[in-house]
Amino acid sequence: MNPMENFNSLSAAELAELDRACGWSLNADELAEVQRQFRTMGRQPRRGELETIAQTWSEHCKHKTFSGPVAYRAGGKVKRYKNLFKETIVKATRTLNKKWCLSVFTDNAGIVEFGEGGRWGLAFKAETHNHPCAVEPYGGAETGVGGVIRDILGVGLGAKPVLNTDTFCFGRLDGKKKLPRNALGPERIMRGVVEGVRDYGNRIGIPTAAGGIYFDDGYLLNPLVYVGCAGLIPADKIEKKVRPGDLIVCIGGRTGRDGIHGATFSSANIDEETGSSAVQIGHAVNEKKALDVLMRARDLGLYNAVTDCGAGGFSSAIGELGSETGARVRLERALLKDTRIEPWEIWVSESQERMILSVPKGKLKRLAAILDAEDCEYCVLGEFPGDGRLLVTFGGEPVADLPMEFLHGGVPNFEKPASRRRVKVSSKKPAAPAYWAGALKALLAHPNVCSRRSVITQYDHEVQGGTVGKPLQGRYGDGPGDAAVIWPQAATLDPADMHGFAVGHGFCPAVGRIDPYQMALHSADEAVRNLLCAGADVRRTALLDNFCAASPRDPEVMGDLVQAAEGCLAAALAYGAPFISGKDSFYNQSRDAAGREYPIPLSLLISATAPVKDVRRSLTINFKAAGGALFLAGRSLKGMGGSVYNELKDSGNNAVAGLDLKAAAALYEAVRRAMEAGCVRAAHDVSQGGLAVTLSEMAFSGGLGAEVDLSAVAREKGLSAVELLFGESPARLVVEVEPGREDEFRRFLKGLPAAFIGRVAGNTGLAVSDGGERLFFEDIDVLKACWQKELI
Amino acid sequence: MRKRRGRVRRGGHGVPDPVFAQASRRAGRNSIKGDDMMIEIWTKEKYAGSEEAGFIGRMAHAGLKVKAARLSRLYRVDGDLSRAEFDRLGRELLADPVSERYSLKPGANGFKGAWRVEVWLKDSVTDVVGDSVREAVADVLGRRPERVRFGRAYYALGPSAAAMEAAVRGTLVNQTVNRFGMEKI
Repeated sequence: MNPMENFNSLSAAELAELDRACGWSLNADELAEVQRQFRTMGRQPRRGELETIAQTWSEHCKHKTFSGPVAYRAGGKVKRYKNLFKETIVKATRTLNKKWCLSVFTDNAGIVEFGEGGRWGLAFKAETHNHPCAVEPYGGAETGVGGVIRDILGVGLGAKPVLNTDTFCFGRLDGKKKLPRNALGPERIMRGVVEGVRDYGNRIGIPTAAGGIYFDDGYLLNPLVYVGCAGLIPADKIEKKVRPGDLIVCIGGRTGRDGIHGATFSSANIDEETGSSAVQIGHAVNEKKALDVLMRARDLGLYNAVTDCGAGGFSSAIGELGSETGARVRLERALLKDTRIEPWEIWVSESQERMILSVPKGKLKRLAAILDAEDCEYCVLGEFPGDGRLLVTFGGEPVADLPMEFLHGGVPNFEKPASRRRVKVSSKKPAAPAYWAGALKALLAHPNVCSRRSVITQYDHEVQGGTVGKPLQGRYGDGPGDAAVIWPQAATLDPADMHGFAVGHGFCPAVGRIDPYQMALHSADEAVRNLLCAGADVRRTALLDNFCAASPRDPEVMGDLVQAAEGCLAAALAYGAPFISGKDSFYNQSRDAAGREYPIPLSLLISATAPVKDVRRSLTINFKAAGGALFLAGRSLKGMGGSVYNELKDSGNNAVAGLDLKAAAALYEAVRRAMEAGCVRAAHDVSQGGLAVTLSEMAFSGGLGAEVDLSAVAREKGLSAVELLFGESPARLVVEVEPGREDEFRRFLKGLPAAFIGRVAGNTGLAVSDGGERLFFEDIDVLKACWQKELI
Repeated sequence: MRKRRGRVRRGGHGVPDPVFAQASRRAGRNSIKGDDMMIEIWTKEKYAGSEEAGFIGRMAHAGLKVKAARLSRLYRVDGDLSRAEFDRLGRELLADPVSERYSLKPGANGFKGAWRVEVWLKDSVTDVVGDSVREAVADVLGRRPERVRFGRAYYALGPSAAAMEAAVRGTLVNQTVNRFGMEKI
């Protein structure tokens, strides 16, 4: 007998077998709850209903791990969370209660105020598309970008996208590890992902201008692909509400068998048998048509609500929009790519480029005229009746008939055990290199430091004409930018409005291997500092959290997550920077034929945005002119843990420098005021590779050397020269101050750790000493040549 | 008619690829209505140095020594069009007259003795470029072809069959979404 027809009487083992066969990724408790519900209803479930439940209850859609109860054990103590997400990330935002946060955690993206006069909101969202990229990098990356753009199109009544971001993690390209059968090599994955992001962003006409690439063999089988998007929305278009009687209108792409089980796929281990059904190829041109329709129809008030078809397809999108009103859906009306498709497959297909609108009946004709004019296909799938029931039919035959209350509130959640990982930490004095300049050159050529030019130049970062702070900066346009600065005049259509915004990132998984709490602090700090270096007003920083982790069934993985989430809370409160949106992705681990598991390290990407009052006054990293006064702001601390230097050569010290949040926040506010007063000509954060790398990048990006003496630098007692030059202790930045304004700058930073360290030189030599000891002298062209190693 | 001199492989199974077979059968015919046709676009040799060097470098990274290479774009147009119309598409729509040339005879680049590898998306996979060209064809000719598919051809001189196939699988093709054919010309 077909087990589907006998669902209510299956044993736990039979349910598990059915779950595997159907690819639902429901656990035993969830399967038992579904069975219990249908027994109560007195009937067997239909395939479409089980598929709907699997999609709606998936990790991808419900975020069961992060929003569930956790018992965290550390040092004999137990701390219990009822909802980890609400008690950390959301708590920070609620506590800060910033008036300029217009929409947080309730929609497809977070929205903060933009510009003056309360006219605009800035929507910001970052997503991951990891599992699809492991199987088909090009298509996975393309659809990742397409998906996050649709999040921006589907926030409020629709925002106009003005910036795409991308941050990737791959295995080392020069790694020697043997890959399991069927696994794609890291170079192959990287090329495909870069080409996918490039093609989608370039074709749809949105600049890809911020992000990063990180290499570590922990990502050899599980690449991480974070894609983000920012867009502008009129403040009076943020509220949306489905009204009973509205029509359900699908616009954009057609529905096919592509992408079946994408949402549940994200809750599964990737193994050698992973198939292609969860992978799709994007169609940027179709999405551009939908974008153009939405912007016109939004301004004419032709729909009451909109959301995107993402994971779970119609099932999720219509289910979410109709969570209060219910929905009547007639699947035979869907426009199909392929007629050989089962009704339940239409319902859960994740075909790309589709948006769902809630349209008043009287406005359909005007909307249809715009759709026709833009050559954008559409269909009317049904209506939102107002009775709170989801009824899906195909040709009159029921596919799903479920109460929304059960669908959205019925998922059982159970307490997950979490424990602190034991890591051996050595704080001994780090070994010094035999040759300082040699170590610096090796660091500059390291894949986590070197130029990303071969990737960046594939992206159109100039489209829309508003990329002021570019990914490649400096005198020759080839130095590394800290943050993108965007002037969204393509959305405001007001060339006299000089308001802009900056977007930066922080990402420190190497620190997380040692101390996940500090990783979160360092990541948030790096993101804020990047914004500061671009001249943004960091008092109005808004953050996104994107966690990627291995299986949360491992208590140590959950323990890492708890610590990092607590770190997010602490950092957000200290910097006054609320989280406005985010996403998590679990089960980033692979299993080979021998059953060996390959988990990723806990990876937290903090994306940050802050306003730039006048984009003409934004800053870049390069030295500007000979004679510029150089200051190192921030205190240098002991510890080489998580540093690039330790990857190159184990210094014997893996202690992580702890971040003093209060001191950092005070320092940044002082630097911000100095920037506002116009004292600062260039700024660059000290991050991967340490201070020596920061100075080198500022120098060769400006084509000017410098004479630097670090003797006055504020430092922890006993700090070694290795830690000073190559350590990555947080909350530090180098600034170039206009000659003659040094005292003014000092006044702004009175009582704070900021030391004069030298001047920009008129030649191309970079000389660095500490007291009487010359640490290195090197020509900046030599340093630049090391840094300009091509990745692909 | 293009001469088939070497073994044809499809996806490594040693089966002639229908794309190769169709293209060979139809190349050079005056009337091709109701059939599909391939238009191949080349970068003129004097401008092709950097793309060829990039390909050779990429193959070298995959452990394959390639003495010389050529690359091209392929458009398989499925529709009721005349040969003159295909010529017009090649000339006016698909090839940049300054830097490129086109051919309706696949592989007609005089690159004798090389491996010719065609890489296509599987027919079930969304082809954005093909879809866009289909619309552009409708704009140029006033009629929309049934379907256009976009692919790439790579020509490589030097490697053995087994090494070439391994490199193709390792770098150019993902069999989740692609199919490929390989032959000696």
